[in-house]
Amino acid sequence: MLKENISLSQLLTLLINFLLGSAIVVGVGGDAKKDAWIAIAASIMFGFGIMLFYYFLISRVPGKNLYELMEIGFKRPLAIIFSNIYSVYFLYLASRVVRDFGELIASAILPSTPIEIISLTICLLMAYILYLGLEVLGRTSEIFTPYLFGFLFLLTILLFASGNANLHEIKPVLGDGLKPVLNALFPTLIVFPFGELIAFTLILPVVTNFKYCLRVSLLGVAIAGALLLFAMFLMIVTLGADALLRSNFPMLSSAREVSIGNFIERIDALVVFIMMLGILVKGSVFMFAGLKGLEYTFRLPYRYFSLPVAMIVSAYSVLISVNFGDHWQEGLEMVPYFLHLPMQFGLPSLLLIAVLWKKRKKKAKPGTKGMKF
Amino acid sequence: MSIIKSLLKMRKKKEYPVQIEEAAVAGPDLKSMNLEQLKEKVKAEFGSTVDLSMDELKTEGKDALLIYLTTMIDTKLLKETILQSISGKEDGFKLTTEDDLKSLCKGKFGGAGYQLIGSFDEIITSLLYGNIIILFKDMEKALSLSMAIGEDRSITEPSTQTVIRGPKDGFVESINTNVSLLRRRIKNRNLRFEKFIIGSETNTFVYIGYMEGTANEKIVGEVRKRLGQIKVNAIFESGNIEELIADKSATPFPLALNTERPDAVASNLLEGKIAILVDGTPFVLVVPAVLVDFFSIAEDYYQNFMMGSFLRIIRYLSFMIALITPSLYVGILTFHHELLPTPLLLGIIAQREGVPFPAVIEVLLMEVTFEILREAGVRMPRAVGQTVSIVGALVIGQAAAEAGIISNIMVIIVAIPAIANFVSPTYSFAAAARLLRFLLIIVSAFLGLYGVLIVLVFIVAHLSSLRSFGVPYLSPVAPFLIEQQKDVFFRFPIWSMRKRPAYLKTQNPEKFPKTGSPSPPPMKGDQSN
Repeated sequence: MLKENISLSQLLTLLINFLLGSAIVVGVGGDAKKDAWIAIAASIMFGFGIMLFYYFLISRVPGKNLYELMEIGFKRPLAIIFSNIYSVYFLYLASRVVRDFGELIASAILPSTPIEIISLTICLLMAYILYLGLEVLGRTSEIFTPYLFGFLFLLTILLFASGNANLHEIKPVLGDGLKPVLNALFPTLIVFPFGELIAFTLILPVVTNFKYCLRVSLLGVAIAGALLLFAMFLMIVTLGADALLRSNFPMLSSAREVSIGNFIERIDALVVFIMMLGILVKGSVFMFAGLKGLEYTFRLPYRYFSLPVAMIVSAYSVLISVNFGDHWQEGLEMVPYFLHLPMQFGLPSLLLIAVLWKKRKKKAKPGTKGMKF
Repeated sequence: MSIIKSLLKMRKKKEYPVQIEEAAVAGPDLKSMNLEQLKEKVKAEFGSTVDLSMDELKTEGKDALLIYLTTMIDTKLLKETILQSISGKEDGFKLTTEDDLKSLCKGKFGGAGYQLIGSFDEIITSLLYGNIIILFKDMEKALSLSMAIGEDRSITEPSTQTVIRGPKDGFVESINTNVSLLRRRIKNRNLRFEKFIIGSETNTFVYIGYMEGTANEKIVGEVRKRLGQIKVNAIFESGNIEELIADKSATPFPLALNTERPDAVASNLLEGKIAILVDGTPFVLVVPAVLVDFFSIAEDYYQNFMMGSFLRIIRYLSFMIALITPSLYVGILTFHHELLPTPLLLGIIAQREGVPFPAVIEVLLMEVTFEILREAGVRMPRAVGQTVSIVGALVIGQAAAEAGIISNIMVIIVAIPAIANFVSPTYSFAAAARLLRFLLIIVSAFLGLYGVLIVLVFIVAHLSSLRSFGVPYLSPVAPFLIEQQKDVFFRFPIWSMRKRPAYLKTQNPEKFPKTGSPSPPPMKGDQSN
């Protein structure tokens, strides 16, 4: 199979876009109301921990991705079962991401266009990118990331310049005590977006300069976390806690507040651009992770699967829920507990133990002493 | 001295890699035939063409046959030099063995680029390349002398890629003149040219030029390999070569840079790139080409670096304008009225009141009309140029708007990208924007700005999948190379651009040793310390 590599800077931009992805679309930690930013700040710490965990898992056997590690840990038949479960999981997540985006476009900028068309077009685009390979995904995200920063910066300036941002909205800090913050943090904020970094266990092994991989990944988590935090802060000071909680797409709502000199108005398009890039990267990374599972199972290059699988994702993005409320509820109440927790922490922990056990046994055989990690 | 040496070296390298192989396979020996037979055979090969001339002559006491194509050689030169020197005047010299022939040639044609050839096929090809052939009776070797006609178009200012400040000479159709233009700019022994003969029927000369010790050997090898693999019958322009050696042909973007400017080629050679010169065309290819090459021109380096950077940004901007303006108009007018400030929107809507078409039809109508006008402008006979410009300006501009077919703003929407498209220094790259514009217009008619974004991401993904001779097309932006950013969107001062492009993996990554910025001499007061 074709060997592909991505550079450290591409990894960094992929991480940032991935983490911002749908998190910035739907807004995370809203349960904590005014203190959502505190919850996000705390979750960044957990983000570091999660990244370290996945890195530790992957670096046990250099150059092997999650599925190949499973083969080492559990033998191939079991690994095939697990990898298929993971493929379904990742493709489900990809569908969710596409659905988020479809709802955003359908409700914000193209109200009369059916959501099927939106999800079909974006899935075709993802299929094309993945058909071209992970390298192309990396480069595409590398090209667009500066624009992301530029637009976010511009949005900030405009919001403050138009006088919509009211710093008093942030007070009182921790007015309702710690409880809402903790509620928002566990488990929603941890599994989404940071826990979803599990998809990067398929990407980390192909980074060219693996030595610096950990540093760059942590940097990526830090930058993305800071941007999320900043975006949340911006939303709170622009919208206020109540409007924030009611809004489906708070980022979009706050962008709509911008109005300068009756000339710069309705800059939703800019915001949609920020979001689309994130969605594109996040959806593609999930789809890539799912495709890798198929590649592992069938021993065929994953490119062959990209178009059919993208079409499946496109169809399921429409079928997974009847409406946005349903979709939202599913995402908040079911997915974190029944999907994210076992798939992000349960299975990987098991895998880590199995791999460590196998490695220890292997090391013990030639009679070397002790175990070094 | 080194110039002459390298010139000589170039001469020696004039091998015919393809031809030699063929000669080894099927070359009837000369020895086995006498002059009459050979004459008949040459006649049979060329048939009754009018420009074949075969004169019998006697030299050094030996019967000989002089063959040439009258249209390919300089007959004046032939009369002046060869006939005088070859008609036997020396006494006692007998031409019997091959050594005699060699010494004769050394004495008389030394320095004139003679060749002794031994096979019949070689005789035919030499004739076609503008050589004269002298066959001697009972000799194994024939004498071939280059006497190709030297009439070319004189060196003029290039008609494309004009500059305000910079050299005004451009390449011409003759490959040797083009090589000399490059040699005169790079007086360096490491400049190498290699010859290929491509096209089974046209036998066109193609040279590749590169700096030995700088250019990446792998890329040079790849160029050689791809040129060697070409199996077509005809090559008339470097565009043919470009299409045949590109990494991918299903793309609107050019994967090789073409230029008429020797200074641009020379600077690219020094960066570690490879030039491909084709006989019969003033357009020289430079490979590997990356996207940013199509936005930087030689003149950027001849003027103040701030101005150079500014103009470069203008070029990027115009590319984007040329690409997306019409589709933005369609998208905004069809789906996103709210993005426009109300007064402007009202103005546009009021203008469009009488227009019977939806925005997309209006735009397509005008774009196609403009493309037709543009093509007419290029193809029409010069004498009727006036007509087209008057009709075009009137029809496209005022009349269409007044007749209510299009709105007034439409004229602007068509004109701005059209002008912006002409900014692009390389015509073949601007063509990509011209084509993709239509895709964008159609998609934005269905999906609005969302569609425009989708297509833009699609284009970027496509661009990042492209490679030119193994070099990623979007480098040094993606993959991102921080040290190369001095010459991408901005043009830094020349003293600071010490590195050759890292994506080329050149053998010699530094152009010159580190020097500081130019600074004034110390002031009087400073001299004390």
